[in-house]
Amino acid sequence: MRNRKIIILTCAALLVALIGSPALALAGKSYGKALTGSDTVEIGELLANPDRYMGKTVRVEGVITGVCEKRGCWMSLGSKGEDFQEIRIKVDDGVIVFPVEAKGKTAVAEGVLAKVEMTMEQTVAYKKHHAEEHGEEFDPASVTEPLVYYQIKGTGAVIR
Amino acid sequence: MGLTVIYAVSGIAVNHMHHWNPNYKFQRVEERLQPIPQGDRATMVALAVERLDLPGMPVESFRPNPETLQLFYDGWSVDVDVVAGVALVERPKDRVILRDSNFLHLNHPKGSWTYVADVYAFLLLFLAVSGMFVLKGRTGLTGRGKWFILAGLAVPVIYLIFLRYI
Repeated sequence: MRNRKIIILTCAALLVALIGSPALALAGKSYGKALTGSDTVEIGELLANPDRYMGKTVRVEGVITGVCEKRGCWMSLGSKGEDFQEIRIKVDDGVIVFPVEAKGKTAVAEGVLAKVEMTMEQTVAYKKHHAEEHGEEFDPASVTEPLVYYQIKGTGAVIR
Repeated sequence: MGLTVIYAVSGIAVNHMHHWNPNYKFQRVEERLQPIPQGDRATMVALAVERLDLPGMPVESFRPNPETLQLFYDGWSVDVDVVAGVALVERPKDRVILRDSNFLHLNHPKGSWTYVADVYAFLLLFLAVSGMFVLKGRTGLTGRGKWFILAGLAVPVIYLIFLRYI
């Protein structure tokens, strides 16, 4: 009887410790490392002058327009003020996981700006995967040139 | 027992991540509407809401390219091809138990859960190692048992040899 009480109390204490831990308390709002507080760069400015920011840690803010459906390993941010200005925040699989239901919310994200240059084969595979993910038809012949784009290798983000 | 079931079920689910989404299912409904003339975003949003008979103005909107208008509501979204007049209404739904199982299995909470997972892994290790010495005699480690242990080791070793050298 006494042992049973000890087991129940231990389990209860463990549960309280788990629920009260900062890691869980922040879940759903902060992702990855804490933001460093650097100045926010407009997404449009970043895309218009990528060389100015290449390899540097930048902070951007925008509407979450898309999230990796399978692993939550990226989210795309669209500029609140300008149409057609969108950038992807890519994180290592499993290190940070963005929730799919965050689409439409506002996010502030930090990371290092990088240029991604794909080969033709990679471009075909990428677009095929994208089409499959969205239930769209894909014709490999529609790919005429390799994809080149900029993205931020994300280190941390806050979604609100 | 609970942890073993969570880890096993989640293990199968995430092994097949390339075939299906282990965390969410998506309800996607395609709708047709009269094409929307390209102009300022606010006007386009208002037209889309009216023509698709949506429940009020969206929380946010965005135009990733001239042909597409995205409308975001709380928990769901609409992608409108304004030129073709086609809208895709998307509603993600949690796979409740699986999503939470994967969350714990892949140690996404980190923090305290890391220690719980470590203790569980240690207990599994203890179970495997101590299990070798439970049976004695012909069925034990010196008898039939050693062949079972070797068979268990052979599976990953042979697989890796084939993968790397053959």
